[in-house]
Amino acid sequence: MTGRLDWVLLAYRLPREPSGPRVTVWRKLRRLGVAQLVDGLVALPADARTREQLEWLADEVVDGGGEATIWVASPGTAAQERVLAAGMSKRVAAEYRTIIADAARAAGAGETERRRTLARLRRQLRRVGSRDYFPPAERAEARDAVERLAAQVIEATG
Amino acid sequence: MKWATRRHCHVDRTACAWLIQRFVDPDPEFRFVDDPDDVPADATAFDMRGVALGHHGDRCSFESFLRTYDLTEPALQDIGRIVHEADIGDDLYDAPEAPGLDVLIRGASMVAADDEQLLALTGPLFDGLLEYFRRSHLHEVET
Repeated sequence: MTGRLDWVLLAYRLPREPSGPRVTVWRKLRRLGVAQLVDGLVALPADARTREQLEWLADEVVDGGGEATIWVASPGTAAQERVLAAGMSKRVAAEYRTIIADAARAAGAGETERRRTLARLRRQLRRVGSRDYFPPAERAEARDAVERLAAQVIEATG
Repeated sequence: MKWATRRHCHVDRTACAWLIQRFVDPDPEFRFVDDPDDVPADATAFDMRGVALGHHGDRCSFESFLRTYDLTEPALQDIGRIVHEADIGDDLYDAPEAPGLDVLIRGASMVAADDEQLLALTGPLFDGLLEYFRRSHLHEVET
């Protein structure tokens, strides 16, 4: 990676009880694929979309009785940024590996099961792709695996 | 009426602006601002932090409009599900149209000179969606 990026940070604190808002916020953070810097501080590479998503979440934290602030910052050193990006990349790589494994398993299954798995994996690819800020090599492999499964389904249809 | 939202509109804001014009205020005046502090005092802000017509809980701003203005038409609810998935993408709804709408509006924003021009391009898309879903509800018995 070359120069340092701008990152958008969400610093937040939510009351322990009720646990509802905590769980919701945590689930949404996971869906966004944030890097957790420390407890209550998460980061995403800044662009219009990531910034907006974290801003909405900040509002949700405040609505849930907590405190939240949004910051735009860049890491102090390039090495620090590399560690951050590598950690995020590693997490989505694991998600891609699950897709690859599921596609391989479906290849040996019956036609109905293959079709169902294909539809599910396509959705999952899209979902993981939306939080894939630093694509690992597994991304191309996962796409290939799903396309191979698709080819198999199409071939069976004749 | 005056309405204000953030500059560089995407799915949720273009959908809200269309909804305002079609169902809330036939002669709206839109202001696009960079900072929440720039919202004129006499304007109603939407799809911005801390306003009623914004994201709330699982709702996107378009869905907040539907609820606030009591717009219950099924075809609008259908569009609401698509806008929700295109904007938030949390798979709360099954809306296979969402990625397509996202790309169409992204593309429109690339050829539009400013937000006014973008709304002029995207308005007819939502008109079309409304007509499409209205037809799909035609056979339903009125209650």
